Amino acid sequence: MRFVLQRLALFVVTLLGVSVLVFAALRVLPGDMAQLMAGMNSTPGRVASIRKSMGLDRPVFEQYTGWLWGLMHGDFGMSMLTGRAIAATVKTRASVTFPLIALGLLAAMVIGLVFGYEATMSHRPAVRVMFHLLALVGGAIPALWGGLLLILLFSKGMGIIGLFPSQGFPASGWRQPVQALSSLALPALTVGIIDGATLMRYTRSALTELLSSDVIAMTMASGYTRRQAMVRVGFRLALPQLVSVTGLLFASMVTGVMVIENLFALPGIGYGLVTDLGNRDLIAVQSELFMLAAFFLFVGFIVDVIHRLLDPRMRHPEQEG
Amino acid sequence: MRKTRIVARSVWKTAEGRFSVVVLGIWIAVSLLSLVWTPCSLWSTDGYDTWASPSTRHWLGTDGTGADVFSWLMAGSRTDLVIAVLATMFSAALGFLLIGMTASRSNVFSNMSVVLIDALISIPTILIALVLAVPLGASVAVVVIACGIGHGLNLARVCRPQALLAARSGHAKSALSAGAGGRYVLLHHVLPNILPTLIVQLSLSAGTAVLAESGLTYLGVGVPSGVPSWGHSLATSVKFVDVFPITVIWPGLLVTVVVVALNMFGDCLRNAVDPVSNAMLRKNGAVGASEEGKSR
Repeated sequence: MRFVLQRLALFVVTLLGVSVLVFAALRVLPGDMAQLMAGMNSTPGRVASIRKSMGLDRPVFEQYTGWLWGLMHGDFGMSMLTGRAIAATVKTRASVTFPLIALGLLAAMVIGLVFGYEATMSHRPAVRVMFHLLALVGGAIPALWGGLLLILLFSKGMGIIGLFPSQGFPASGWRQPVQALSSLALPALTVGIIDGATLMRYTRSALTELLSSDVIAMTMASGYTRRQAMVRVGFRLALPQLVSVTGLLFASMVTGVMVIENLFALPGIGYGLVTDLGNRDLIAVQSELFMLAAFFLFVGFIVDVIHRLLDPRMRHPEQEG
Repeated sequence: MRKTRIVARSVWKTAEGRFSVVVLGIWIAVSLLSLVWTPCSLWSTDGYDTWASPSTRHWLGTDGTGADVFSWLMAGSRTDLVIAVLATMFSAALGFLLIGMTASRSNVFSNMSVVLIDALISIPTILIALVLAVPLGASVAVVVIACGIGHGLNLARVCRPQALLAARSGHAKSALSAGAGGRYVLLHHVLPNILPTLIVQLSLSAGTAVLAESGLTYLGVGVPSGVPSWGHSLATSVKFVDVFPITVIWPGLLVTVVVVALNMFGDCLRNAVDPVSNAMLRKNGAVGASEEGKSR
């Protein structure tokens, strides 16, 4: 419990630190922020109106505390371009991104765990070498290129085997679940293959270590086969490590997800963030960056706590030699 | 000196080692060559010769502006080489600083590094890059700094247990009681012990920097437009993939092969410098980690 509280305190402190960093990054810009947001060829009147409406005429410290106060109350400011509340926009975008991440993670876990298990357990050297190469190459593919290859292979219209739509997301969103799901298939598969390769490497090294351990020998001595022992006991022992890796994978996945959303024209968080950055909608960028960072810090916090719960050895570290 | 030769020979002995050394050698050679010669000038564009098929003049054809694809890929290799080297150096410096803090005898520093790493490790590299891109715009520096921070933290996290063990080992304690300073222990006891892990992590971070370059450049926050890079070649061909799908193959293939080679090279080098896995190294006397310092 003490650990959870300590970790929670760390989470809150880092969150504050991140908010300062994000806020500062947007203020160290050379030149006037309002001018930058308005664009090069705008009239002085437009610049002045943006400065006023975005609150940029107030002192910097006041701007920061105001922003922070808003964040704590769920008010993330409003977009310069659309005038809509940023919180609402992000909510719509999240309904694309979170299913994408969840599906990608699912694909990565199926690929990583199953292949990693086979790569460890197979008696045939050829199979083990093949999985080894698969893991090496899969982890080295640029997300952009992997997505393109899948489009060229499996998309309707462009691909060799037309199965899934190549781009876009149904305008009515999840009210058309079949279309929505099928438009996420290729993007999720791309992310899944790349991160599955990483997970596969970790799974293999964790299971290989266990394979020669006394625990597996003991389980086999009590009548289980090698595979049964690994599935029933091995995975349970490797679990804390795999949870940690999956947590990190989650963070690394986002780079892929942002590229993939742009490639597949999915109106998700990554696509929106890049668009807002291009449009110089800086207040929106500031809030969105903070929200993303907060989300990942939270995931890190949860993963650490789960890891602690799963691994009894971690609970009393001072008793270890 | 003798030890370096043993390590080099052990790397070359394996098929993976040979493949990676050859690929990385070609990469460096082409980068240097591209400074003085490319088959066509980068800026000689021919508006009547866009999307040309491969020919003797344009080995991989031309892109949408009529520029030679092969020449751009050649020139791009030097940008990616610089990014990979700088990002790796940056992450090595940051990682080693954090490891030094972890292994230090001062509890304040040690705890501070743990807190820093734990707190920041879960923030994706791309978010760091996007925050940096707001003030810096699209630039090589964004890729280098973002990758450097991300991998430096990861490096410290991965090496932490081994570094702590080495710093609290009997070797380190006896060195300290014999009057050695903290820096001596760090360089002669901690570093040799984490070296195998360090090598793997650094080669991984070089590979990830190349991957990140292509992604960030596509998103418009990486290498600025007009500067040749593999990410740039990939991003320009992506826009026209429905018209000319074949051009897209080359830059992606190049990145994949180079990243595979980097990762393989790291694995082979790790096995070669680790006395536990390299029998040749043991036979020739360079046994323990603490021996290494004296033989230099």
